[in-house]
Amino acid sequence: MVPSPPEPADPPEPSPPGSRANAAGLRLSAVSCRHGRLLAVDRVDLTLGPGEHLAITGTNGSGKSTLLRAILGLHREVSGEIEVAGRQARGGAGWARRRAEVAWIPQRQATGRFPLPVRELLASGGHPARSLAAAEELGVAGLLERPIGTLSGGQAQRVYLARALGQVAAGAGLLLADEPTAALDFAGQEQVAAVLAGLPVSVVVVTHDRVVARACGRVAEMAAGRLREAG
Amino acid sequence: MNTIWTLLEIPSVRLALLALLLGSVGLPIVGVFIVGLDIMPVRFAMMHVALLAIAIGLLTGLDPLLCALVLCGLTGGALTPLARRGTGLSGAMGLLMTLAVAAALLTLSISGVNANGAFELLWGSILATRPGDVAALAVLAVAVPLLYGLRRRDLALLLHDRELALCSGVAVERLTFLLLVTVAVAIAAAIRLTGALLVDALTLLPALAARRVGRSLPAMAGWSVAFGLVFNLGGFALALLFDLPPGPVLVLVGGVCTLLVHALPEALFHPIPERALTQ
Repeated sequence: MVPSPPEPADPPEPSPPGSRANAAGLRLSAVSCRHGRLLAVDRVDLTLGPGEHLAITGTNGSGKSTLLRAILGLHREVSGEIEVAGRQARGGAGWARRRAEVAWIPQRQATGRFPLPVRELLASGGHPARSLAAAEELGVAGLLERPIGTLSGGQAQRVYLARALGQVAAGAGLLLADEPTAALDFAGQEQVAAVLAGLPVSVVVVTHDRVVARACGRVAEMAAGRLREAG
Repeated sequence: MNTIWTLLEIPSVRLALLALLLGSVGLPIVGVFIVGLDIMPVRFAMMHVALLAIAIGLLTGLDPLLCALVLCGLTGGALTPLARRGTGLSGAMGLLMTLAVAAALLTLSISGVNANGAFELLWGSILATRPGDVAALAVLAVAVPLLYGLRRRDLALLLHDRELALCSGVAVERLTFLLLVTVAVAIAAAIRLTGALLVDALTLLPALAARRVGRSLPAMAGWSVAFGLVFNLGGFALALLFDLPPGPVLVLVGGVCTLLVHALPEALFHPIPERALTQ
């Protein structure tokens, strides 16, 4: 079992933004995740080199999102080994480091019961200036004072992408993106695919979007909790 | 109006006014925490734990309020591991409430002390406020805004979404512990003013009204304190003017004002509608 989720400590010193030196490899060894009795992820092995981009496709409920959440320590019933940048996360400080090393675009963006302005969400990525610049590029800079819960699905996805770009600039070497284009129109999908493809860090993107999958160097398919690399 | 000034010459009325003023600073922000953490059942549970603590106080001869502060604080802290569960706190709170009341009744029965003393505290009497109660509220009036001021960013993230906070480097467990203890202690401290059953008037009603008006944590915190002052002072003045029991009047004034705030058109507060817009 992976140790219980974590108490963050001081984050690591950020590396220069946009540098490939930030890129963190990912290694999964016999990783299984359960939801109670249900085995959602079944002995997954995966090695992703620094700077590599991987798309994970698969049907709904095949365990893709659970796998990403396990890497971040957000899913508790996990066995096997998960290494980011050659380190397993152990204890509060270990998980704090893990979460500083990993940028995250969640599938269900937190719209929260409590209002959080977009500006504060962007700042939480650790590099407010880069997140604000990304928000400008992604066309959501006019929404800074709006609570995230009042945005449409597509707007929220762009905001979360801008936040993730801030995390990368703050030193995260791995980006986990869970269906980052699900609520976007075609132009938005292409824009996001291009942004992800241009990132100098390692990327694992769960997607049903062929444009995004094509933009990644590798594609793997998940079915019934098992991960199988596509030819 | 002369009646009010005349009544304010009475020391117990002045003490009650001071308690309300102090309560209006810290307690509404605690209400914002309760709304944000979605832990409304916790306050019910704490009222029952407070009853048990009061029973213990009556049995042992210790100060009942001190017992309530300590036992509620300990219970609030002990709830932290439950707060991370997706199922929330409702089920556990039901159990806690039932056990606390049963234990309180048993304690009162075994000790043979007059249970009226305990139940009086459930209903509260603001005019029975003692300097110790005011001191507890003064501590909260400093500590709660201080906690808010020092951890505003972390609080905003945690109250919005626990996982987002975790992934943003917030010490979620520690902060949740701190908030639950604060909520529990605040409820215990407010019991004397309105009674355990009506403590919502001081905590939750200002926060619920503020939620309609504010769209960020700072806005909600600010509005909740403003509403708290208006509800408490308005209710207290009305109670003095018409010679009514202050506790229920405070609650009714707060409740009616909160309803009015929610009845007003949203556009009055926010030009952009609250729910999702199209792209």
